[in-house]
Amino acid sequence: MTQFLEQIINGLVLGGIYALIAVGYTMVYGIIQLINFAHGEIFMFGAYFAFFCVTTLGLSFWLALPISMLLCALMGMLIDFIAYRPLRNAPRLSALITAIGMSLVLQNLARMIWTAKLRKFPVETRPSFLVANKIILPGGAQLSFLDLFIIVLAIGLMIGLNRLIYLTKIGKAMRACAQNKVAANLMGINTNHVIAVTFAIGSALGAVAGVMVGLREVVEPTMGYYKGVSAFAAAVLGGIGNVTGAMLGGVILGIAEVLGAGYISSEYRVAIAYIIMILVIIFRPSGLLGKSTATRA
Amino acid sequence: MKTRANFSTISLVALVVMSFTFMSCEQKVEGIKIAVAGPFTGNIAAFGEMIKRGAELRAKEINAAGGVNGKTLMLVFEDDAGKDKEASLVATRIATNRNILAVVGHFNSSCSLAGKPIYKRAGIVELSPGSTNVRVCEGSDWTFRNLYRDDFQGGFVAKYIKNVLTDIQKIAIFFDNDDYGRGLKDGFTNAAQKLGLDIVATEAYDRDNTDFKAQLTSIKAKNPDLVFISGLYSQAGLIASQAREVGITVQLFGADGVDSPGFLEIAGDAADGTYVSTPFVFELGGSEAQRVAKAFEAEYGVAPDTWAALTYDAVGMIVEAIEKGGENRKAIQKYLASMTTPEKGYEGITGLTYFDKNGDCIKPAYVKVVHDGKFVPAEKQMLDTEM
Amino acid sequence: MRVKLSTKIVILFIVVCLLPLLTYSADLLVQWASDRDISLPIPSGDYMLRILVQAYLYMLLALGLNIVPGFTGLLDLGYVGFYLVGGYTAGLLMARLGWSYWVAMPIAAVNGAIWGLLRGAPTLRLTGDYFAIVTFGFSELLFRVVKNEEWLIGGPNGFVTDIPAPNLLGHELYHYWQQYYHILILLILTIVVVHRLQHSRVGRAWAAIREDERAAESMGINLREYKSLAFAVSAAIGAVGGAFFAQFQVNISAGAFEFWESILILCMIVLGGMGSISGSIVGAAILGSLGELLRPFGGARYLIFGIILILMMRFRPAGLLSIRRHG
Repeated sequence: MTQFLEQIINGLVLGGIYALIAVGYTMVYGIIQLINFAHGEIFMFGAYFAFFCVTTLGLSFWLALPISMLLCALMGMLIDFIAYRPLRNAPRLSALITAIGMSLVLQNLARMIWTAKLRKFPVETRPSFLVANKIILPGGAQLSFLDLFIIVLAIGLMIGLNRLIYLTKIGKAMRACAQNKVAANLMGINTNHVIAVTFAIGSALGAVAGVMVGLREVVEPTMGYYKGVSAFAAAVLGGIGNVTGAMLGGVILGIAEVLGAGYISSEYRVAIAYIIMILVIIFRPSGLLGKSTATRA
Repeated sequence: MKTRANFSTISLVALVVMSFTFMSCEQKVEGIKIAVAGPFTGNIAAFGEMIKRGAELRAKEINAAGGVNGKTLMLVFEDDAGKDKEASLVATRIATNRNILAVVGHFNSSCSLAGKPIYKRAGIVELSPGSTNVRVCEGSDWTFRNLYRDDFQGGFVAKYIKNVLTDIQKIAIFFDNDDYGRGLKDGFTNAAQKLGLDIVATEAYDRDNTDFKAQLTSIKAKNPDLVFISGLYSQAGLIASQAREVGITVQLFGADGVDSPGFLEIAGDAADGTYVSTPFVFELGGSEAQRVAKAFEAEYGVAPDTWAALTYDAVGMIVEAIEKGGENRKAIQKYLASMTTPEKGYEGITGLTYFDKNGDCIKPAYVKVVHDGKFVPAEKQMLDTEM
Repeated sequence: MRVKLSTKIVILFIVVCLLPLLTYSADLLVQWASDRDISLPIPSGDYMLRILVQAYLYMLLALGLNIVPGFTGLLDLGYVGFYLVGGYTAGLLMARLGWSYWVAMPIAAVNGAIWGLLRGAPTLRLTGDYFAIVTFGFSELLFRVVKNEEWLIGGPNGFVTDIPAPNLLGHELYHYWQQYYHILILLILTIVVVHRLQHSRVGRAWAAIREDERAAESMGINLREYKSLAFAVSAAIGAVGGAFFAQFQVNISAGAFEFWESILILCMIVLGGMGSISGSIVGAAILGSLGELLRPFGGARYLIFGIILILMMRFRPAGLLSIRRHG
């Protein structure tokens, strides 16, 4: 029982991470119908930014986190501006290929600059409050403060995002653009602006995920690829284009992966994500919650 | 038609690029060339770094003493990133380069296995300073190694645990799902069971994985007295620290794949107390080993590790084969194949190396332990080489 | 179908066929010079032939991939899956069961086609993005299975070794010049097949599907049939490439069939021009060689490929040699 509980906790943490990354994919897809392959790499850069903030610059972890978010938000907007915006009216194939190219560039840039060496946050830089303490749950299961923090942070950010999308003006603009860009434009919404904001928010959330994973596990150049694929599968599962779906999908996939790895076979961990992705697309392309805004491809 | 003109120019460009590729081959310069193949990039690059430096130090010393038969010794480094797919490509690259006389490498067992048939087809010697999987030298007259095999190492670790770490009874094994990790796991499991130890858990991991908590939680539930990590330092480092985070407090034991300063870096405090089996320990080597260690430190600013030492010896062996056998691929193979007795063996800093009919050699294993963030020789060693 | 061959192409063809003779002469020359203590900066014949073999293999694969996005307009991100199927079918049959290459290769091709159809069946209705995702997932799953299923493959990481070269009249054809003709013949066959398909009813149907699926359907083109055919042919070609690769490289392992390999081939046809046969060939020649050239620079290779993709899509999405006039 203890083991089961601990595995569930692992799954929730992973699910929170996936949710944070998945919303990035889903928001961008919802608004410009593009699968932003490079999003996983932004997650990875987020981890590296924070890592270098605490090691080379010697900043506190709590400062490194928002700095990383900011840098990634800028990065996301920059990528949109350079690579995707010029192709706004081009065939979808072109944009997709560009996204793949971007992912290649970013991943290998990281590999070249920082090498594939695994980097762990040095002990002195880790927020000791989180790392050192843990709660013992009934049954003997251990829940570290760090894990708890990740779960709570993810939930908090998701709620914040939801509020943003449904209760603010910019959120309304985002929903409008997702529904119909042309009409939104006619209504006086600067669509390029809104798209940039979408990228910024998605990237910032991805950065949070990156920093947390970097802290909890390790920082290395291919982390974006693996987590990214799973997060994308989560987004598809929840219904691509649907933010709540992404959150739900993230949690479900996280738990499924961890339980699969812990009880069945650790080797097929990532395969679970692929299988779910394929099955969902073939049998229920709209995902669990469907696209909250109409237009189908 | 516009397309025609385009086709000509583009094709010309293509041809130019292709010819450049031809020319990218190592040009023949007066000298003796040996290839050194290893993981110079990738997440186990710390091995490659030591290998490179060990080889370069040896080459420097040889050239300073007059070179090989009066010619300069030149090393050609080929990176296989620790992946068997890259190793195959590297092997074809090396094999088709007629200027390269022999290969010191590869390092990872899966890479050496990948290179083996290609080197065999081409007829060029592959002398590995790091591959321990049992199959590496089988079936080819061209493959050799200057360290022990994993059936020996697995048995050694089991015996050490049984005889020295006497209160250990239940063991969990966490192994890397590649040739090395798997082969060593098998060797260890067989020996451990024969000695009456209990294997309570056996979990596999993928080298691309960075989150081991799911499997570690599973292992923890089985209550082992010791966790044996059959894998490489990067993942072992993560496993060590994550194991502590998950609440596994028992003894950790790693094999030679864990023997790298990278392990200490990644695991941090969690590394303390971990035992590691290894083919060589500098502190227990002879006077020549100490001299080399000092020279290495003077040159590179860090102490050499086991792999630097084995590579240092491997380069020396190839050079001896060239000087005493001949300056061509076949002669090198003949010479190495003739080193079948201790008298005809090679006395290097890692000990005496001589080969059996397969190209394997019998050499002792040592044990190190992590103490205060450094590897030190374990108090008790088991230096007999009987299985 | 009459094809007009310009003199340039004929000359190219003759040179290509006689290349091993040229490299062999170069080798003799170097030996002659070396006996007189002159060293010539000419690489060994085997080295050059090896590079050409790898280039031709990529050309063959590019032609295969080109069929789906180039002729039918659907983005295939999982092409490496068929390369994998071909490689393992041939590799396992030859290495584990000792079958001859001449039997294993066609079986690999057929198996490839079957998997192509298998993947195609549930995806016939899917549009661009979704189709691409499924192809990606599909090839990655195959990769994972091969990597982990020891009972099937007999080695970790999908490692199969000692795959022998084809045996002709008692000779094992593993020398580089033999491999050269081997892949050259396969490549020429592929070019012929693809070319004839392109300029036939099938090719026209594919073009119609690419331009506008619904219009094509309303004109009476059976989408399912033609799409399936495209998948099958494309996959079969990939499998043939895989089978060749298995015996050329002597070992195969899961690592050779990663997702990025699909992207590499995609990059080649994007560079050359999707839908164009000569485009695929030229794209493969350039990027295949560039890849080898940049090998010492590790990650820089894929970085440059990524940049190429981005630049091509931005400035010349039709590719270098596209003959399609696009709006």
